[in-house]
Parts: sequence; structure tokens; C-alpha cells
Amino acid sequence: MDGGIEQHLASGQHARAFDLVVPAYQDRVFRLAYSILKDRAAAEDAAQETFVRVWKALPGFDGRAALGTWIYAITRNTCLMELRRRRPTVSFDDPDSDEAYRAATSIATAPADDPERENLLRMVDALPHTQQQAVRLFYLEDRSYEAVAEQLGMPLGTVKNLLHRARKRLMELARPSEVKAA
Amino acid sequence: MNTSMHAGPCADYEHEIVELAEGALAPEKARAVRLHVASCARCRAWQSAFADLDAELGQALPRPALSADFAARLQSRLAAMTRSNGRADLRTSADDEYRQTLETLRRGTWFRAIVGAITVVGICTAGLLLVRGVAPEAGPLLAVFAGPERDVALVTLGAIVALGTLAWSATRGFLPALRLGA
Repeated sequence: MDGGIEQHLASGQHARAFDLVVPAYQDRVFRLAYSILKDRAAAEDAAQETFVRVWKALPGFDGRAALGTWIYAITRNTCLMELRRRRPTVSFDDPDSDEAYRAATSIATAPADDPERENLLRMVDALPHTQQQAVRLFYLEDRSYEAVAEQLGMPLGTVKNLLHRARKRLMELARPSEVKAA
Repeated sequence: MNTSMHAGPCADYEHEIVELAEGALAPEKARAVRLHVASCARCRAWQSAFADLDAELGQALPRPALSADFAARLQSRLAAMTRSNGRADLRTSADDEYRQTLETLRRGTWFRAIVGAITVVGICTAGLLLVRGVAPEAGPLLAVFAGPERDVALVTLGAIVALGTLAWSATRGFLPALRLGA
């Protein structure tokens, strides 16, 4: 956690701490929200909502978890609420409910000006929800496994496995007749 | 996309090839994997396909950015919420003042009832004493006040009057005050 933020929180200066929290986390919160919602405007709204919740809850932040972990958890909850609002069948208990997830996030993600790119994005959309979320976030975060693990609240090994399976699956989808499991 | 491969990689090298591409292997391990890949067509093809996919994902996946006015909009929203909270505080303050007024009124009602009862008892006692002094031989109604039990009779009468006064006050004053103050 940023030292300045930590100091302000320790001294009860929550407003000052919040002023530092926003610039420090706004991009990562937005990217995490985008990886879940797959829509820029919705992700920005979710980021706004996340920071409002952080602002309200910051005086009660007890520091048991890292600040980033706490903020990302709020972000994920905010996004899941948004998905649930769009489509009530999206379940918190079943994040891999792909059909519901795809229905809830059926927003065009790329212009159709590049067929190969469009095809690749369609294949990413066909991945299980947690895999496509990890893939999006991994490339948004400049291929940082650690950032993905922190933002998704998953162990590093889990994220590596998710990404490995996802990319292997994408290669299978790209060349189904040529891929053979080793 | 240009992903191509003839078969999956050797099982022992599947993860290592990815880690090699990401620069995550220790130098000795990296050298061993390179040596294997150089001698294995399947792993070489898989390595190439993985590199292609990685590059294409890096280019194809959208990289949205936050709006330039994100922070300003957030601050405006929080300021509006703060103003709203300020109005809520005013309402709370008015409610507190109202409750305090009711409490004061309730205490005043009790005080007035007790003072009233004492006053009535005093007046009645004085009146009876006056009657006894002015007409000691008055009829049988007043005979009891002239006998040996006159003090008991006077205290009993005073208590009856006092209780009656309190009961009357209760019906007129402090019971409604108690209800309002609750």
C-alpha cells in the first residue's frame, strides 16, 4: 500500500487518504471492471460506484487485508451486482455459469474491421468466464500474473493455470485439427 | 490468426515453453528448455504458435482508458452526496431538538402535577381547619374532624385529594407527553 495512504488512514484522515486512493487505483479498478463487464462505459460506471463505496467504507477499513485487496473485492462485487442487474440468473456462487455470463455481457467488444481480430475476440468470448476474465486482465495489465492474481483475488498458481488453459484452448480453437494433447 | 502447430508439445515442456517465452525461467532451466526445443519439432511448433497467439492477443484485445474527467465526475458525485448528508444531519439535529423539548415538557408536567397536588392538599387542609375553627359544632359531616381521630381523617382526606389531583393531571397532561416522548 502507498505509504502516504497508510499514514493518513492510521491518523484517521480518511478524506486525505481517499484523495490519494483514487489516482493510485482508478486505472486498475477500471481495467478490472472492464475485464468483468467487457464494456467501457459500464466499466467506468462500475469504477465510479466502486470509489463511492470505498469513500463510504474507508473510515471502517481496519487494515486486516491490504488496501488493494479490499478495493478490488469491492470492485468485483460491484461488477457482479451490475451483471446480476442486467441478468438476474448470473450467480455469485457459480462464476463459471458461462451461458448466463455471456447473456449478461453480450455487448460488442470490437469493431468488425479486422476479421482475424474479430475471430480471435470471439474465441476469447467462448472461453469459460473466469478464463476470459484472466486473459483480458493479463493483457490489460501488461502480462503481469501478479497484478491479475491480486485483482481477481486468486493465488498466483491458480492464475497461471487459468491462463495456460485459456491460451491452450485458444490454440485448439484456432487449429482444432492440428492440436493434440501432449 | 497465424497460429499453427502440428501437435501438442511434449508434456514435460508445455509449461516451461510458456515460462521461457515470458522470461520466467532460471538461466540453467532456460538453457535446457532451449536445447530441447531446438531438437523437438513439436515443441518448436508449439512455441511458435504460442508466441503468435500471445502477440495477437496483445494486439487484438481492447485496451480502453478511463475518461479524462473520471476523477472530476467522481468528486462532483461525492460533493453532492456530502451536501445531501449535510441536509440529513440538519434533519437529525431538528429531531434531537424536538425530542429534548418533549423531555423538558414531560419533566415540567410532572413538576406541575406534584406542585398542584401539594397546593390542593394545602388548600383543602387549610379550608377544613378553617371550617373546624369557625363552626366547631357544625353538623354530623364535620363531627369527625372535631373528634380524637381528626388528624387521621385530615391526612386521609388530603391523600384522597392528592391522588385525585394526580389522576386528573395524568388524564390532562403528562400521559400524552409520555407518549410523545417515547
